[in-house]
Amino acid sequence: MKKLQRLKKNKLLVLIVLTYIGMYIFRRDKAITSFDNSMYYVIEMLEIMPVVFVLTLLIETWVPKRVIMNSFGENSGVKGYVFSFLLGSLSAGPIYVAFPVCKMLLRKGASVMNIVIILSAWAVVKVPMLANEAKFLGLKFMGIRWILTVISITIMAYLVSKIMGDSLKVVENTKESSKKILKDSDAHIAIDNKYCIGCGICARLAPDNFKVEGGKATVIDNNCLKEVKVKIDEVIDKCPAQAITYD
Amino acid sequence: MDIFTISLWVITGIAFVVSMKKDKGKTLNSMKMARSMMGNMIGEIIGILFLIGLILTFIPPETIKTVLGQSNAVFSTIIAALVGSITLIPAFVAFPLVGSLVDVGASIVPAVAFLTTLTMVGVVTFPLEKREFGLKFTLARNGLSFVFAVIIAVVMGVLI
Repeated sequence: MKKLQRLKKNKLLVLIVLTYIGMYIFRRDKAITSFDNSMYYVIEMLEIMPVVFVLTLLIETWVPKRVIMNSFGENSGVKGYVFSFLLGSLSAGPIYVAFPVCKMLLRKGASVMNIVIILSAWAVVKVPMLANEAKFLGLKFMGIRWILTVISITIMAYLVSKIMGDSLKVVENTKESSKKILKDSDAHIAIDNKYCIGCGICARLAPDNFKVEGGKATVIDNNCLKEVKVKIDEVIDKCPAQAITYD
Repeated sequence: MDIFTISLWVITGIAFVVSMKKDKGKTLNSMKMARSMMGNMIGEIIGILFLIGLILTFIPPETIKTVLGQSNAVFSTIIAALVGSITLIPAFVAFPLVGSLVDVGASIVPAVAFLTTLTMVGVVTFPLEKREFGLKFTLARNGLSFVFAVIIAVVMGVLI
């Protein structure tokens, strides 16, 4: 079962490997050329991949994101503008991870303009990603695209806030549809499956409580009393998608 | 290794040492996370890298030049922006993919359009965004992102 899931998760890789094997049998020369062509990019990738991931996690560990989030208020201004860019570009994970974070900020009174900046910066302006882009497409390419993107995001955020007329209401979810609630004796840990990115951070920090199965985290033990609760609190704080809550 | 990559390693190395000095436990924990994140993505990354080899072998550079080259810019840019909007591959692996196409003669205008919509416009995540922020906001943000992705691409084509 586990092996099957692994295969399913890596279906692209499996497909490519099968193609190479097939080619090696029928068109050996083409297979070797393809392999050689790829190796150049594999080596380039290996040179930069560890740096990108280590840098991403070091930023995630040391940048006081909570402090930034807490300082968002009604008064946007220049400070809010800069903070929005910082929050977006220093966070890890794909754009949908930003949705719950932004919603929380909306509730706290962040402006529509800042929300658009956070979402867009979260999507395109990532410090470690910029390094990756410069590596494969050149410093000049990365630099110009970065400047143009920041300008575009600013104009876009202004336009969206005009369109919305600052009337963005927080859409409240119905809990039943979006959350998987596990009932147990004392407390309940809930994981919002739609947002879980299967990063495995929870399973690493609290292996007794969480497990990653088929690319999504699941709760295996709901025990979160005393000393365990400290751990769960940390997990909730660290979850890049903010997908874990007490229920 | 080029000078850029070397300096990145140096910067990251210094950051790592400083982080270790400040809090060993926290740093080691974050390294474990980095490892598991890499482990999660490595299959897809290797898959795409070897796909590049296949593309470069089977699609002759002349074809890439005509289909994605300067002469065909308007059409290929719109297509690239659309493809970027619906695909959900990590930007991380998109850079070598796009880089390889540019290396053999693809125009950078569609390349930039693809890279920008890939991360900023989400057709797949549209329902999720709509649920959180409502239809109007989601339409406005994604629509404008698409338009600006094309504008960024065109401006870059002029500048580079």
